[in-house]
Amino acid sequence: MTDLIQYLFNGLVVGSIFAIAAVGISLLYSVLRLVNFAAGDFLTLGAFITYFFSVTIEINFFLAIIISMGAGMAISWFLELVLWRNLRRNKAGTLALFLVATGVALMLRPIIQYVFGTETRKFNVDILKTYDFLGARIAHTQLMVLIFGSLAIMTIALFMSKARIGKDMRAYANNPSLAAVSGVNVDRVVMATWLISGALGSLAGVFQGLVQGQFNNAMGDTLLLSFFAAVVLGTIGDAYGALAGGILLGLFMELSQLAIFFGGVPSNYKPVVAFATLVLVLLFKPEGLFGYRTRKV
Amino acid sequence: MEAFIQPGFWVFVLTMAGIYGIFALGLQIQYGVAGVMNFGHVGMMAISGYTIAVLVIKYEWSFWWAALAGVSAAALGGALLGLATLRLSGDYFAIASIAFAEITRYLILNADGVTGGTQGTLAIPNPKGFGGYTDQVDVILYWIMDRLYPIFGDETSRDMAMLSVVWPFLFLFIWISSRLQKTSWATVLRATREDDDVPASLGKNVFRFRLQALVIGSAFGGIAGVFWAVQFMLLAPEDFLRIVTFYGWMILILAGATKVKGLAIAAIFFGFLYGATRFLDFWPISELSSPERAYLRIFLIGLVLVLLMVKRPQGLFGKREEMVLE
Amino acid sequence: MEQSTVKQSAAPILDVRDISVSFGGVKPVRGVSFSIEKNTFTSIIGPNGAGKTSLFNLISGANKIDSGEIYFKGDPIHSIHAYQVAQRGLVRTFQGAKVIRRLTVVENLMMAVQGNPGDNLWGFLNPSARKRFEISTREEAMLRLEQVGLSKFANDFAGILSGGQRKLLDLSRALMTSPSMVLLDEPFAGVNPTLVEKLLEVIADLRKNNEITFLLIEHDLETVMNISERVIVMAEGKIIADGLPNSIYDNELVIDAYLGSRRKGA
Repeated sequence: MTDLIQYLFNGLVVGSIFAIAAVGISLLYSVLRLVNFAAGDFLTLGAFITYFFSVTIEINFFLAIIISMGAGMAISWFLELVLWRNLRRNKAGTLALFLVATGVALMLRPIIQYVFGTETRKFNVDILKTYDFLGARIAHTQLMVLIFGSLAIMTIALFMSKARIGKDMRAYANNPSLAAVSGVNVDRVVMATWLISGALGSLAGVFQGLVQGQFNNAMGDTLLLSFFAAVVLGTIGDAYGALAGGILLGLFMELSQLAIFFGGVPSNYKPVVAFATLVLVLLFKPEGLFGYRTRKV
Repeated sequence: MEAFIQPGFWVFVLTMAGIYGIFALGLQIQYGVAGVMNFGHVGMMAISGYTIAVLVIKYEWSFWWAALAGVSAAALGGALLGLATLRLSGDYFAIASIAFAEITRYLILNADGVTGGTQGTLAIPNPKGFGGYTDQVDVILYWIMDRLYPIFGDETSRDMAMLSVVWPFLFLFIWISSRLQKTSWATVLRATREDDDVPASLGKNVFRFRLQALVIGSAFGGIAGVFWAVQFMLLAPEDFLRIVTFYGWMILILAGATKVKGLAIAAIFFGFLYGATRFLDFWPISELSSPERAYLRIFLIGLVLVLLMVKRPQGLFGKREEMVLE
Repeated sequence: MEQSTVKQSAAPILDVRDISVSFGGVKPVRGVSFSIEKNTFTSIIGPNGAGKTSLFNLISGANKIDSGEIYFKGDPIHSIHAYQVAQRGLVRTFQGAKVIRRLTVVENLMMAVQGNPGDNLWGFLNPSARKRFEISTREEAMLRLEQVGLSKFANDFAGILSGGQRKLLDLSRALMTSPSMVLLDEPFAGVNPTLVEKLLEVIADLRKNNEITFLLIEHDLETVMNISERVIVMAEGKIIADGLPNSIYDNELVIDAYLGSRRKGA
């Protein structure tokens, strides 16, 4: 029972990180038909920038997070202006988008490594402090991630359903030509999508760094496939689906360690649970859990 | 600058070019002919290389049978990947193929008892107490070195022997591949890059054609794995990171995805990039440590990919409309 | 006007029994039944959205039916893949005349031939058989291009052809498969009158020389009146009339559902 609570809690924490990262990927796909292979490295970047400001320069941790989110947005903004917009104008195909996204990832990683070094880092947060909750041990950092992660998820959901630009995004994703005709400013929508995914990438990176306790420059990239699993599970291109897919995947990965599943999957095989989820969804339900929403005649 | 005139540097560059050329040839058949975007190609190389290492070291197979098994295993890997996911649309297949390669690497990493885990093939448990698998090939390589010695003297190396083996194979495979691309099989596949309904309405089983292209391409990946295994004499999981697939893609895009003949030249360009970031020691490269050089290499590959796709998506030898129409 | 009667021979070549399909909330085909006799020319007409192309997609196996049965030459074909339907000799053309733009005109045709050893990887190991087959296929393709007046474009990319020329290519390509039955999806729509003449000529020729059964879709009644032996009228996914071309004009349902809507539409 204690195990169950522990794993449920861990799952929610990990899941909320997945959800935040996955929603950025899914939004980009829905608007740009781009599978963002660079998403993982944006997480790493977010974590390192936060580290730089909060540990090296010693400013307030929360301020540092906001700066790193701003940096994620700035880089996304820059890349949209110099790169993605041109590719769109040139009517670049699927492969071009894939390879450019990969190219960006390949360039970003060495830059992070060159600027911040290869050593593992940790935030100035007490990673050993834990609380006792119904017998489960809950780390202070986990609790932070869960609280702020939930806030972030609710903000995103509200934004998508209420804000003008959020609605435009969904309209454009559903039918680009119709949306363009009915007065949706395409460049604005695309830019907003990049800014959101940039900010969310940094935020997820900080959260992941907090939960791991320490991190290095491979952190985000290692998680990339888990994010894809969450995105596909929640139906690729569906923002709400990605939120749900992320949380579900987090729960799967943690709960798989319960003894009732094959005597408990060893924790170093947790990524395999993500891979297996991805493979099973692709095999049996490639349209994802919420596929009926997007199915058209 | 000295490294430029050292034969050893160029021998290494060309050997790597040959191996990665064969690797990229697999992608060329898959994408250039069939339009299948495989981003997990490195998985095939890993499967092949590790099959050889395990069969020779742990089960004491002959290298030649093991190599055959390795290539077959890679082709089988392609078949499994294709049967499971090739019916999905391109985006899904791309994600699935990456997952395939990552799962492969993860299994290799964690199956210590069979693969040696993080320590690589040297740590494969075996009767001899030493995890080498190239003895039988080395006999041939040393024979070649003996023949090369009168010409090159002390510059003669194992790499040089490898070079003289790899390139004839690369040309042979390029020739086979270009023949393959003149068949009606390839014509049907080129048609499927535009439209699935038309070939299907003419009685062509599009899935079968694509699957065949995937399997043949995977076999080439497997063959590249054989040469890779022989060249480095030991394998470790980190040799087969995702980036390696993109080395292949860079060669392919540089050559122009549908142009088989530019492949060798593009491969040499890659080999130079690869070798230069390893061995050259003039400024500014001399300022960098060895891990930093590896990062510089990755950065340059990323830069070349981005610049190519933005400025010249058809590659050095291709026609622009072929990429733009995708 | 040529008068002919609907032939009543023993086994029909195509037998469609009560087929229906729905996509999401839409039901484009609702309980359609008809059978086609061998070597006949039948037209299916109906206003846009009547379910004609959906019907073709079902017969050719491009989409799967929800209920009902389809038999071709006595064998069920409703649960096999589109390519298997084509391999059995039931071939279709496309509404927009789909050509493969980046293959040459002659390659478009040559691709269609059945039993090509070059399609098969084992054929790769037998270059002489492959070569022989290719030469005879190219000859046949050139002949077909000659027939429709496209031979001067043989080695150009099919993408340069005009809409009308594409329809000629689409038809010729279907014929390259040596079919026993061809489904033509609006072959005359948007084609200039000279090319329509050409198409009709080709079809008339085939009717004389070969044993090919034709089933054609058209939204315009007049175009098909002269060439059809039988006309089936569809509206809202159902067959509302079926008979000799002349009888269609007198049918009140048709006037109501089809001609009426055309008056409004046009």
